[in-house]
Amino acid sequence: MSGSDPGKLISKADNLTTLSLTRWSADWESATRLYEQAANGFRVSKDYEKAKLAFEKASKGREMLSSPWDAAKSMESAAALAKELRNWTEVIDFYRKASELYMQCDRPQFASDSLAKAARAVEDALPSDAIKLYSDACVLLEDDRKEQMALDLYHAVTNIYVKLEKYTDAVAFLLKLGLAADKCNATNSQCKAYLSAVIVYLYAHDLKQAEKCYNDCSQIDAFLRSDQNRFAGKLLSAYKEGDVEEIKRVAQSRSITNLDSVIIKLARKLPTGDVAAFKTNAAIGEEEALDENDLK
Amino acid sequence: MTVIDILFRVDEICKKYDKYDPEKQREANAFLDDAFARLYSLVEADIEKALAVRFLFSYPFLLLFSFQTLIFQINYWNKMQKSDKVSTEKNRAAAVALSAEIRRIKARLMEEVPKLQKLAKKKVKGLSKEDHETRFDMVLALPDRIKAIPDGSTAASNQSGGWGTSSSNKKIKFDSSEERFGSDFYQQTEESDQFRQEYEMRKMKQDEGLDVISEGLDTLKNIALDMNEEIDRQVPLMDEIETKVDKTTSDIRKNNVRLKKTITQPKFLH
Repeated sequence: MSGSDPGKLISKADNLTTLSLTRWSADWESATRLYEQAANGFRVSKDYEKAKLAFEKASKGREMLSSPWDAAKSMESAAALAKELRNWTEVIDFYRKASELYMQCDRPQFASDSLAKAARAVEDALPSDAIKLYSDACVLLEDDRKEQMALDLYHAVTNIYVKLEKYTDAVAFLLKLGLAADKCNATNSQCKAYLSAVIVYLYAHDLKQAEKCYNDCSQIDAFLRSDQNRFAGKLLSAYKEGDVEEIKRVAQSRSITNLDSVIIKLARKLPTGDVAAFKTNAAIGEEEALDENDLK
Repeated sequence: MTVIDILFRVDEICKKYDKYDPEKQREANAFLDDAFARLYSLVEADIEKALAVRFLFSYPFLLLFSFQTLIFQINYWNKMQKSDKVSTEKNRAAAVALSAEIRRIKARLMEEVPKLQKLAKKKVKGLSKEDHETRFDMVLALPDRIKAIPDGSTAASNQSGGWGTSSSNKKIKFDSSEERFGSDFYQQTEESDQFRQEYEMRKMKQDEGLDVISEGLDTLKNIALDMNEEIDRQVPLMDEIETKVDKTTSDIRKNNVRLKKTITQPKFLH
């Protein structure tokens, strides 16, 4: 079958598809077959550029043949090759096209899957694009009410944000994670998400926000009853005391090791900055309260 | 015949032939007209009894002088033979009861003492002046003797249980005198120090072990919860797979039937 040179196959297929005076309608079927053969041949000979092109054309052919599923599959192969070539924009384009095709097939899971693959591919190079891809993937899954699949994606987004040091955004996504986990009754993941949110805030050295977040999360029954809640309480009280040793000791405990690896790294680095400042702030706060009472 | 029966028979016989006992007769007759002497002898007898009973409880296997107490002693010994545990229990409770009784006897005797004093002053015919004075001295000595009867409120009891005897709290002192507990105290703490150290070491080791266990359990719990969530995640996927596979099997069956029909049908060659 693929005995002949893939280049020849491609040219042959191109001939079949291009319209000319001699040809009134393109023969997509045979063309697609030829394209796929050529693409495989190129891939084997590690000519990624040409293979990518061939896959692209094959996918177009499949689309013409109104089989979006196969089209999407070919697109994904093209995107994978583009990844090898480190052509990020093309990667993103191909994967997006593939996900659209999957949606045409009414398979949102595969669509989100391809978007997630795209995000994973580009997260080092283009983190903001990766975040966009991940969020789109999450949206697709949530529309399909498959939030459980989304939990991993949320984790991935959080990791990117932490790497970019955008802590508030990271926390926002963690809370979204919590929400998704709540919808599918994954209480353990939910509690871990909230605990991670508190830790991220503390790492950003924002005690007030951390406390606010903790109070908000305590409204939720599942979190209130969990080990993670106790641990968060301990951590916050250690911070309020301004006791560095206590913070370090609490952060070494078992509850941390159950969390995501990125969060563990953050926790190990606690406390950041001057904890004594929190202590004095707390004391001043108390004094002010007394003064108000006296004035009354 | 059991020992008890023998004892009772002996008792009865003695009582019957009491009138032939010269000592007892002398005692009975001697103080007929001497009120003091009579009363004094009664008081003395009571003291002796109290002492004997007290002694009996401290040293159950000692032989005692009065016959009644001997009988009591043997009965008691029998009881001890039957069940040790119960008897120690009874011993303590009985000791407490007996101490209370002895205290009652003592109080009664103390009341009798002033009567004796009055009687001692009275003149009695047939008594020499020396005897009279000795009588007075004896009366004076009586209160001390009565007080000396141990009834559990002094430290004279050597009972091994010791609980019944220390029920009255005169023994417990918070600011005890230094000389009294000085040397004893320090001797004790060498042993108790070692014991305490050992206890602390063992407690520490147990705590360490428990910490390890708790860590392991934490990890296990986390793993179990994650597994739970993962399986929950897999359930709808499995359902989907089931429906798809069902559909596929039915398709295959249909196809098989058609194939079979096609193959087995006789081909009509035109």
